[in-house]
Amino acid sequence: MNRRKMLALLGVSPALVGGSPVYARTSAKPAPESSPIGDGRITVMNPGISNKLATRYPLAPPLDNLNNKLIYMINLSWEGPDAGNYFYGAMTEWLQRRYPGIKTVVKVTADGMFGLDPAILKEMTANKADGAIVGVAG
Amino acid sequence: MSRWAKQIQLQMKVPAIGIASSNIVHYATGYDFKYSNGMPVRYVAVPFPFTGQPKAVDVGYVSGKDMLSGQPLMAAVIKALTDPLTAEEKISGAADGAADSRLLPPDTEENLRLLFEDKGWTDYNWIQLPSEKLVTEMLKGTSRKPDEVIKTIDITGGQRQLTVEKVAIGAVMAGASPEHFSLILALATQAPFGNSTSSMANMVVINGPIAKRLNFNSGTNALGPYSRPNAVVGRAFTIVSKIVGDLRNNVNAWSSLGSSFQYNNLCFAENEENLPEGWDPLHVQMGFKPTDNVVSVGIGWTSISSVGGSQSLYPTHFLMRDYMRSLTASGSAATILMDPTVAKLLKDTHGFQTKQQLSEWFSQNVEKTAGSYWGNGVIQSTAVPFALQGLEPYASWRKLPEETLIKPFTNPGTIRVVVTGGKIQTTWFVTDFGLRRGVKVDDWA
Repeated sequence: MNRRKMLALLGVSPALVGGSPVYARTSAKPAPESSPIGDGRITVMNPGISNKLATRYPLAPPLDNLNNKLIYMINLSWEGPDAGNYFYGAMTEWLQRRYPGIKTVVKVTADGMFGLDPAILKEMTANKADGAIVGVAG
Repeated sequence: MSRWAKQIQLQMKVPAIGIASSNIVHYATGYDFKYSNGMPVRYVAVPFPFTGQPKAVDVGYVSGKDMLSGQPLMAAVIKALTDPLTAEEKISGAADGAADSRLLPPDTEENLRLLFEDKGWTDYNWIQLPSEKLVTEMLKGTSRKPDEVIKTIDITGGQRQLTVEKVAIGAVMAGASPEHFSLILALATQAPFGNSTSSMANMVVINGPIAKRLNFNSGTNALGPYSRPNAVVGRAFTIVSKIVGDLRNNVNAWSSLGSSFQYNNLCFAENEENLPEGWDPLHVQMGFKPTDNVVSVGIGWTSISSVGGSQSLYPTHFLMRDYMRSLTASGSAATILMDPTVAKLLKDTHGFQTKQQLSEWFSQNVEKTAGSYWGNGVIQSTAVPFALQGLEPYASWRKLPEETLIKPFTNPGTIRVVVTGGKIQTTWFVTDFGLRRGVKVDDWA
């Protein structure tokens, strides 16, 4: 097999190995087919599409404290439920050490990270939850 | 996450806060709040990465610091649940939006090029600046009115309206010609391209007489940079996607690694002339007529090359099967791209009389361990919810020991086979792209 063919099969440019200069073909910069306005400036169309701002909603009133409160911890199963469950477990321990009357409930969403699980919302309403922590993504 | 926190607060009038790593929080409190959610949800941030870590790492984050404020994480949680509302957090009502101007303010070519790059409207390769004259010329490629809205994009919020004229602007920027335009319009109905924290990408397949009429390359180097239609139509999908998706790096485009597929979106035509008898073109398999012109778009991440040609000592479909074990099988999706010589070999030597027979064989014969299947984050995000709802086979698979083999490609109909290439070598790719039903190009002529 000749050297050129062997190098080509190996994916190596024979020109590169041989030290032969390989020049890119130069081409003139294409002229902008835009509308000149006479002073070197041109006018072009606007590709951008404006975003519509979202309707604003206020936050719900905050809690005065966490004593004797019922807090739901909602695990969105971001790349699976395990990490969120570990984290919420540790968070529960921390809260219960400092707020003896606090109650926490950890719930894994059945609809994955993008859905709103109506069963959880229904349960929270029925149990009169005082607040929620939603996560954990990342 | 912000939707959950918003829904709880609206429905129950109790505080709900979010916890995520700082990259997610940045998006949630910025772009998402402004254009989608509208509620200034309070967040606390854990270090990244969060998922896939040993338990001790995730547990340790609780005694660590909030990545936003620098204070102890649990102190930040308490504060987020109990701090009085600020004036900003009490705002309600609709906001005014600014209308788009059709033309940009006059400027030098150099400044306009910088502006286009600053706005993230390009792929950072050289573009044709979209003069009104060129855009008007492009619009001659369709009978549709320039102000017709073909799609409203709200994936990341903002309700951006994609008009025929905006697609024409993107087509000019990509270097396309008016004869490409109806195809690009049909393609634009599938915009924007994949946008995920993962390296989601797209595949664009052209079928029907239009492929030949526009000189699409379905022969030698069909997937390489050797054909203007393949190049500019694929690129137009990128540019239109970036424009209509308002996709900007670290603003609302968050792929950790990104994907070089997104420069061209694997745009190619099927080599219909060289399909073995009985092997229908992709669009015919989808229910279109052979004479229909169709563009099909798929979402995926992965492409594995055969590297070399087929060998008689190990059947080609066996090797494809082996390589397919590496795919996630998310949604049971796969697309096998193969040279016409491979299709002929699979039919004549191995007896696959149709593409469907081959797809069914893969569905029955590709196996992977349950551990490998569940070990993927996308599967965890998409299939665990099915398992938790008791849907089969996911519920049963989730209970299996790690080493148990499962057949993850449950649906032969989502295993596509597309033939392209120049009959130079018996090479092929297995990919995890899931092709959606195609769009008729002539509807956009």
